[in-house]
Amino acid sequence: MHTDDRPAAPRRRGRLALAVSVLGELLITAGLVLGLFVVYSLWWTNVIADRRADRQGDKVRDQWAHAAPGPGALDTKDGIGFLHVPAMRNGEILVKKGASTDVLNDGVAGYYTDPVKATLPMTGKDGNFSLAAHRDGHGAKFHNIDKIEKGDPIVFETRDKWYVYKVYDILPQTSKFDVKVLSQVPKESGVAKPGHYITLTTCTPVYTSRYRYVVWGELVRVAEVDAKRTPPEELR
Amino acid sequence: MYGWIWRHLPGNAWARALVSLVLVLAVVYVLFQYVFPWAEPLLPFNDVTVDNQ
Repeated sequence: MHTDDRPAAPRRRGRLALAVSVLGELLITAGLVLGLFVVYSLWWTNVIADRRADRQGDKVRDQWAHAAPGPGALDTKDGIGFLHVPAMRNGEILVKKGASTDVLNDGVAGYYTDPVKATLPMTGKDGNFSLAAHRDGHGAKFHNIDKIEKGDPIVFETRDKWYVYKVYDILPQTSKFDVKVLSQVPKESGVAKPGHYITLTTCTPVYTSRYRYVVWGELVRVAEVDAKRTPPEELR
Repeated sequence: MYGWIWRHLPGNAWARALVSLVLVLAVVYVLFQYVFPWAEPLLPFNDVTVDNQ
């Protein structure tokens, strides 16, 4: 045997000592693997998701730039638009169809198709534009949802329009079975009449999925997108 | 376990250290690429939607 860092172990150790040492090494390994899993969840999934979201976002903007004006703004395959929430300080969030893990893991916000179907703002109908995104990992697009306060703007950007919403109610903690928050008229937020609502949902507290955090907004105004895509004053 | 692996690696201490490093990186790659993505949905850390399930 060559030189080793440690003093050479006795050739014939007891079986028990061997078993204990192997067990110890396995436990240390398990600890390291769990540590790596944390690194994976909180860092690596963000790297991957942001990369994918950027690529998909670029594609959507490309399509917008090249598509002929007029109808066709409802082309929803790659994403329907971008969500801007200045209070969260994370730029634009691509919005895609569906709130399944597969969709959300790409670092986007998804609009609900199940259990309650979201009403898209482009349709112009009364209803609730309900969205979900990750709180941690996979882009963590709604990580700073707790920084949103009542009165803050939420802006949804489509090819032709800026939909400006104003936050009017926040539910910091609710059960994950509380699907009523997605209702077309979300009564839990204190409204009774049909209107143009937006609902953001994610998990809370951070790093867990025990409860859901909900933010409600109501449409204030709709602005046309100009040739230079000048953002509305709420985003400046 | 790790002592056993070390003793069975070829070459001198430097070569062994290098091979060990490569092995460690390979393990980390397999974990990040295959094991963690598989395990993540099975763990209750990142469910963000409200639903009936």
